[in-house]
Amino acid sequence: MSTTSHGSGQHEEYPPYLAHHFDTMGQQAGAAKLGMWLFLATEILMFSGLFLAYFIIRYFYPDMMLSAHEFLQKEAGALNTVVLLISSYTMAMAVRAAQTSNTPSLKRNLLWTLLCAGIFMVVKYFEYSAKIEHGMLPGRFYEAHYHGYELVGLPHIFFAVYFTMTGLHGVHVLVGMGIITWIYIRASRGDFHSGNYIAVENTGLYWHLVDLIWIFLFPLLYLVR
Amino acid sequence: MGSQVYVNGKEIENPHEFHHHVAPKKQYVQVLGALLVLTVLTVAVSYADLGPLSLPVAMLVAAVKASLVCAFFMHLKDDDRFNVFVFVGTLLFVAIFFSFTLFDLGARNAVNDEQKTFEYWNDEAAAGNALKVGVDHVPEKAAALKAAHAGGHGDGHGGDHGDAKAEGHGDAKAEGHGDAKAEGHGDAKAEGHGDAPAGEHEAKAPANHEAPGGH
Amino acid sequence: MAHHPAHADHAPEPDYIRAKKGIMSWLVTVDHKRLGLMYLASVLFFFLVAGILAIALRTELFTPGQDFMSAQTYNKVFTLHGAIMVFLFIIPSVPAAMGNFLLPLMLGAKDVAFPKLNLLSFYVFSVAAIMFISTLVMGSIDTGWTFYTPYSTATGGAATMAVFAVFVAGFSSILTGVNFVVTVHRMRAPGQTWDRLPLFVWAIYATAVIQVLATPVLAITVLLLGLERIFGVGIFDPALGGDPVLFQHFFWFYSHPAVYIMILPGFGIISELLTVHSRKHIFGYKAIALSSVAIAIISFLVWGHHMFVSGQSELAGIVFSFLTFAVAVPTAIKVFSWVATLYKGSISYTTPMWYGLMFLWTFTIGGLTGLYLGTLSIDVHLHDTYFVVAHFHYVMVGGTVVAFIGGLHHWWGKMTGKMYNEKAGAIGALLVFVGFNGTFLTQFFLGHQGMPRRYYAYLSEYQFLHQISTIGSWILAAGLLWTMIYLLHSLWYGEKATGNYWNATSLEWHTQSPPIEHNFHDTPHVTGSPYDFPEIDKSGATH
Repeated sequence: MSTTSHGSGQHEEYPPYLAHHFDTMGQQAGAAKLGMWLFLATEILMFSGLFLAYFIIRYFYPDMMLSAHEFLQKEAGALNTVVLLISSYTMAMAVRAAQTSNTPSLKRNLLWTLLCAGIFMVVKYFEYSAKIEHGMLPGRFYEAHYHGYELVGLPHIFFAVYFTMTGLHGVHVLVGMGIITWIYIRASRGDFHSGNYIAVENTGLYWHLVDLIWIFLFPLLYLVR
Repeated sequence: MGSQVYVNGKEIENPHEFHHHVAPKKQYVQVLGALLVLTVLTVAVSYADLGPLSLPVAMLVAAVKASLVCAFFMHLKDDDRFNVFVFVGTLLFVAIFFSFTLFDLGARNAVNDEQKTFEYWNDEAAAGNALKVGVDHVPEKAAALKAAHAGGHGDGHGGDHGDAKAEGHGDAKAEGHGDAKAEGHGDAKAEGHGDAPAGEHEAKAPANHEAPGGH
Repeated sequence: MAHHPAHADHAPEPDYIRAKKGIMSWLVTVDHKRLGLMYLASVLFFFLVAGILAIALRTELFTPGQDFMSAQTYNKVFTLHGAIMVFLFIIPSVPAAMGNFLLPLMLGAKDVAFPKLNLLSFYVFSVAAIMFISTLVMGSIDTGWTFYTPYSTATGGAATMAVFAVFVAGFSSILTGVNFVVTVHRMRAPGQTWDRLPLFVWAIYATAVIQVLATPVLAITVLLLGLERIFGVGIFDPALGGDPVLFQHFFWFYSHPAVYIMILPGFGIISELLTVHSRKHIFGYKAIALSSVAIAIISFLVWGHHMFVSGQSELAGIVFSFLTFAVAVPTAIKVFSWVATLYKGSISYTTPMWYGLMFLWTFTIGGLTGLYLGTLSIDVHLHDTYFVVAHFHYVMVGGTVVAFIGGLHHWWGKMTGKMYNEKAGAIGALLVFVGFNGTFLTQFFLGHQGMPRRYYAYLSEYQFLHQISTIGSWILAAGLLWTMIYLLHSLWYGEKATGNYWNATSLEWHTQSPPIEHNFHDTPHVTGSPYDFPEIDKSGATH
């Protein structure tokens, strides 16, 4: 292989937020974004295992699924869907604010997103407590039939699937809240502007994925009959 | 050459271009509106009984919503094509995972008992045998619960769930709870739980359905 | 061209090992080369541990009855051997250890795309390793490395901990995979187009793609298994209404592609070794490069061949068997191309070359016996016998480990700055070759005669072959220990390595040995193939 060496004078206009091993912001941002998409790919594949388990259980125990899913609160699920969609919107607006160097708007939108995420988790908390109170627990902990609920078949599997799917999703919401808080702190320091907003954008991508998964979880667990 | 970027080994003229696209505010509002309308739609559809169509319809609406989020909120519409490729490629592998696994589960014709896992329980339920549910797999806990709720159930847990029960689901065929005679509790009948013959399901279960060692 | 322009215009810069001092400079380093060395030390440690377990297993099998291990102990030891070898040695060996060190160098980059993520990945791996080791004091695991349900949901011991250790190890693997894919896409030197990448990079790239696509499914599988053990969720446990074969689908959707996570990087190393040490341009560059990607994709379509007798449907068995044969095509393309590369080459019998030639022999046996096992009807007979054990050891040890050791010799000077002793290397290679084939060739016959795997005792009619196998394993162990000794010896007493001691052409040879902290003084510009050896271009085959 032939190589030629060029002078190493490429560090003249090195912005402080450009890591040493990249040449330009474009390269850095492109790499970060591709990395984020690959990470999202892994998230999708991980959740796909749970979705597959859901479909299989549903395929083999349709009556049980139908009878058990009636005990989920549709209204709570719908409320959470709306809340998450709005948070996705505010997150998208936050990214847009960062793109246009509008720090006050960025911070405002991040706070709205955090608020929505908080509401989501509170609703989730009430849903979970109701299930726990009625003994509708996963697997071997399921005891609703001692609380007077007669469900068809093997409902402990449905509640195991319900808690695993929403639980893993809930963990992602909590992680997202942590990241958004961190981004908010950085935004307050004035880190982000039109030349450097990839961290906000990647946080947004993650948050939209959390929304995306809920978009499928909601009809599957709460609605489908 | 300082500011040159090499992607795929080639020089890129304007490296900033491929991620710098600011969409108008109005577009975001419209997308949010569409998402909310679709949410209302999917909830509304769930009240109409579509029978076997309900799952495909719900998934279709969810897919449309997901596409909107991907295209506009996640900027895939104006993004580097390779990111789109990564996303679509991922879905392809999800499809491989789903289709092969479901294909096998659907094609099993239960030549031997090992292959009957799911059918076994459905057969048991259809035969009117009691299924062992949840906590009944932990004899000590089940016994304690039984004792605690011995005075009859529905104690204070009516609430908002009471009506769900009345919807005509679960008409009593398979609800007998794997009952506790095997554990030496003679009071099973007093509780009004299903009183299927004790231990029957254990006796009938093929050996492979019993995980060794107990739990 | 073989020589990099002299660095006369640069002030001498310390190499990456000496650039910073103190233990902290290693613990918080984001330098891919230092992380590569740290991974190397870790995986070699686990290779040693799991290797000792293997010798213990083989020694127990020297006589038909019980010698010094009870059946229970034997179960625990083979589980630990398999699990450590797979999750803590082979999977991270070439990608995480050598890939980390070499990938940015071969791309002419200063580092991987996400250096901090790289460091995080190492610590996640360390946590997984500690979790795994902690199972030893928590009662061990006796499920086999595959954790098949329903036994794994019912057995006691530390299976829950082991399962979560695998979950954490998977994270490390995913982070490394994401990092490498992005690095290959975004960090290549000017002029380094896809058809000018060294084949090792292609192999690592294909591996990273599998890591990204398959590992998440392993994560959810072991998570569900852990939940099954804690809550009894009833998805995999038949007693609760689940399907144990479903677990195998989930598990093998990851673990079959994982087989290629293990072997593809080995392919990459072999492509480098055979060209450099025969001074010949690789035969069929594009075919080898694209066959790596083809293997990566096809590997997702064949997982059911692990489940022919597990209760999967017969129709699925037929389909998976058919698809399995498709893997043989790209793999054969590689082997033929390597052999064609050697043809009329100017072969020098260096230690890396010995290992390269050994690979061609052992891997081909491993690959071809895979076709036996992929044949539905024959697998019914051979399943769960020593034939299977021999087959995957020929692929994993005869393939990956042999390539790994060959690569270790090839780049030893580049990594450490010291040269190993060639004569000692040749002796080691001979011992490894004799020992390895003695251990595992016999097991094909054992398996064919019906000796089942995973038993601590056996009928006396199998004793002769078992004893040859055990003696072979001692020779293999001696060879590996010998290799370890002279490599360690070279760290203190070896000759200093020059920048390009093999007269090779890919970019890692265009910097000093060991490289400076930022790899290159000047960004290299690439204008040709990494396999244009000048003396071949001019006059045919002179050395």
